Amino acid sequence: MTVTVSPVFLFNTQTGQPEAAELLDAITDKQLADWEGEWIPELFKAIQKLHRAGVDRVHWPQSRHWNWRAKTDALQGMLAYPGFSIVADGMTQGMMLIDTATKRCRLDVQKGKDLAYVEYVENAPWNRPELAQPPLYRGIGSVLIRAAIALSESEEMKGRIGLHSLPQANNFYANTCGMSDLGPDASYHDLRYFEMTPEQAETFIEKGQRS
Amino acid sequence: MMPSKKTMTLNLTDAEMQALEALSERKDVSKTAVLRQALRLYQLVEARAERGDKLFFEDEKTKDKAEVMML
Repeated sequence: MTVTVSPVFLFNTQTGQPEAAELLDAITDKQLADWEGEWIPELFKAIQKLHRAGVDRVHWPQSRHWNWRAKTDALQGMLAYPGFSIVADGMTQGMMLIDTATKRCRLDVQKGKDLAYVEYVENAPWNRPELAQPPLYRGIGSVLIRAAIALSESEEMKGRIGLHSLPQANNFYANTCGMSDLGPDASYHDLRYFEMTPEQAETFIEKGQRS
Repeated sequence: MMPSKKTMTLNLTDAEMQALEALSERKDVSKTAVLRQALRLYQLVEARAERGDKLFFEDEKTKDKAEVMML
């Protein structure tokens, strides 16, 4: 498998400076090893803190059940499900899996058209505001959403993307990304469904170039 | 970050070309994009069928399901 690596920048909150990082158009064994060896222990420590602080389970990170190795193994070699990852300081900082084949747009203005559907996207626990204050790196979600838009454009889907958001990320998709909120989806765990039009994609990309 | 692509010649009958052109027009994408999308779907369906999964079409209103026979 050929992996394409693109230079990107994340904001390091410890140094207060942008830091060079790499966007990979794949999830490789290195990412899965980072997930098993670093993300999971850190996630469990964070959950333990929440538990000891008396935080109700409904407020624990809902992605705690995600098994990236199982997901990646199941979709190995499938053209329909490309993966992406971000590496900074030698460590995987975020991962994303996209479905480019089986989903269609729901928003009235683009109903039925093809789109890139973000199946799973997750930041490393130390980059998640609900688990680490301040998160070590900022900007991971934006880089990954830009990658999803670029993929959508390269497949002639014109930047159209869609996703179901976990509650802690609703604000990011609505306000930072400027996606349309189609509300809770009863057919998908009542998670809110967000969709981006070509115009919204263009605005989001322009915003990223200005910042 | 576009992966490199290879070019091939495709031989289609008139009827196949008409179907491809109609899909290309309806979906507002190039014929190449239609075929790449078809390949993604076909590979996925084949992989699931090999695993023993069945493919169904469901009527959105009636919820009636019809199995698609994979040959």
